Amino acid sequence: MSVYITSTGHHLPGAPVDNERIEEVLGQVHGRPSRLKRRILKSNGIRTRHYAIDAEHRTTVSNGEMAALAGRDCLARGYLAPSRIDMLSVATSQGDLVLPGFGSMVQADLDLADVELHTSHGICSSSLMALKAAYTALKAEEHDSALVIASELASRLFKASRYAAAGGGLDFDAEFLRWMLSDGAGALLLERRPRGRCFRIDWIRGFSHADAYPVCMSVGQARGTTKSWQDYPTYAEAEAAGALLLRQDVRLLDNVVKLGVDGLLRLVDQGWLEVARIDHLLCHYSSHYFRGKIFDMLTQAGAAIPEERWYTNLYERGNTGCASLFIMLDEFCRTRPHREGERLLCVVPESGRFNTLYMQLTVVEE
Amino acid sequence: MNAPMNPKVTTAQGQACLQDLMRIWFDFERQLGRVPLLRRLTQGRFTLADYRLLLLHLRQQVIEGARWISRGASSFDRDFADVRSRVIGHAREEHRDYEMLEADYVAAGGELATIQQGRRNVGSEALHGFMMHRAGQPNPVDLIGAMWIIEGLGEKMAGDWAQRIDAATGGDGRYTRFMRYHGEHDEAHLETLYALIDRVCTGEAERQAIARTARVVARLYALQLEEVEHG
Repeated sequence: MSVYITSTGHHLPGAPVDNERIEEVLGQVHGRPSRLKRRILKSNGIRTRHYAIDAEHRTTVSNGEMAALAGRDCLARGYLAPSRIDMLSVATSQGDLVLPGFGSMVQADLDLADVELHTSHGICSSSLMALKAAYTALKAEEHDSALVIASELASRLFKASRYAAAGGGLDFDAEFLRWMLSDGAGALLLERRPRGRCFRIDWIRGFSHADAYPVCMSVGQARGTTKSWQDYPTYAEAEAAGALLLRQDVRLLDNVVKLGVDGLLRLVDQGWLEVARIDHLLCHYSSHYFRGKIFDMLTQAGAAIPEERWYTNLYERGNTGCASLFIMLDEFCRTRPHREGERLLCVVPESGRFNTLYMQLTVVEE
Repeated sequence: MNAPMNPKVTTAQGQACLQDLMRIWFDFERQLGRVPLLRRLTQGRFTLADYRLLLLHLRQQVIEGARWISRGASSFDRDFADVRSRVIGHAREEHRDYEMLEADYVAAGGELATIQQGRRNVGSEALHGFMMHRAGQPNPVDLIGAMWIIEGLGEKMAGDWAQRIDAATGGDGRYTRFMRYHGEHDEAHLETLYALIDRVCTGEAERQAIARTARVVARLYALQLEEVEHG
């Protein structure tokens, strides 16, 4: 019994925003242009991205609505009426509401009746965790179809007013992701039968290492503390302490590369993966800087996938966190030649507390 | 470990061996991440007393390290004369390293007599016993596995620990000289190791022996660091 990705879709809000215009939208912190911006953008290589907020910091489309738009795009390209969807599996880093689960909101926006619902919570890797939940449900033959959506609205966290509310100087760890992340949503339709040219999911595997590493990317604790934002007497005090800023401990970031390579070598060792048979690599690296590091380390291990087989749309569509891989796969499908029998390896390393997921797809013809 | 642009190891056996060693190293890093003392270091709860404790226990291993490398060198016969030369060179460079470590201990507020009278902890005993045993075997090519872990750790100390220790304890680099110095040199040592992998990993038996020794050394080294808490 195989499971197939029979359609894909995406939604990227508004017009692309180039590097010069980022601060027009997000605003200048403490009224001054950023000194780090140029350096970080040079390193990540991103040239354009999309934001779901405007220059007045009004949300133009909510996270739930973006997810629904991507879902509708996917269904419109597919062969299945929305009423035939059995399961909805959804991922995001932060929904529009703290509660209920993001999936409930997306289901309502999509007008999908009677589905089994799953919401996966996390950062970048939550997309493949949501996909795996749907994949296994179809594998278990409990459902015939599932719509999987990953959506991110990170820009709300980057409004200049957020940093102003946290007072004091702006530290590197809190500013870093401001120049990395942006908004968007991607969707995949899973079925137990192939349709036209589509992808068979060969396997999805993940390795998490939170037991061995500290937190690397977070919202909810101030710098140098482990106190939760919910432990402050008021939310206003939590924000003033900087506990609501999105932070990246950049000193720990190299571990993402090592653990990504480690998992890949493990899959080779266990016989799941034959590197030489991979025709297309879709790796959600957050920054061009890491592409080189991953490639070098794979080369060192003798497990390199030639650079011409790497595909990404990071530089034009931005780093949309958990949505990135689905947005990438969607554009790959529509623009990149691929033939029956070719294999795709998808890799999503997450720096949050170090979780890496891998998926192998094979191109099939109905 | 910094990855070079091109593969340094070219033979098929060497590549397979390097893959083993890289995975063992990544696993070792995770073991280190679980060691309470190092957890305090990454989580910003590390004190100068913690650092002195770390040096006190590291010293025993550093002194013994010079001994097993020397013994290992003498166990290579004429067919491995080139390997012996490299190992001797390595032993010569490092056999007085502990003096710098002791100076750091004193600069960090410790008594020289205390560190000089230090004893091996449970983990250091096990590591020392295992290494002296392996180094005494004929043509102990599996020592490459031990060197991979220990040199890799040297680079990690310099690239990561020294900075964090100074940041956590308000140091200015004055008492982290051993770690910084060791790291600079270990990068060159790692280059030597890549060449040695191709040279000595010529069959499946060698590959397995190298991986096995690397795995044992990684575990015992982590044990040594865990035992820092227990004297």
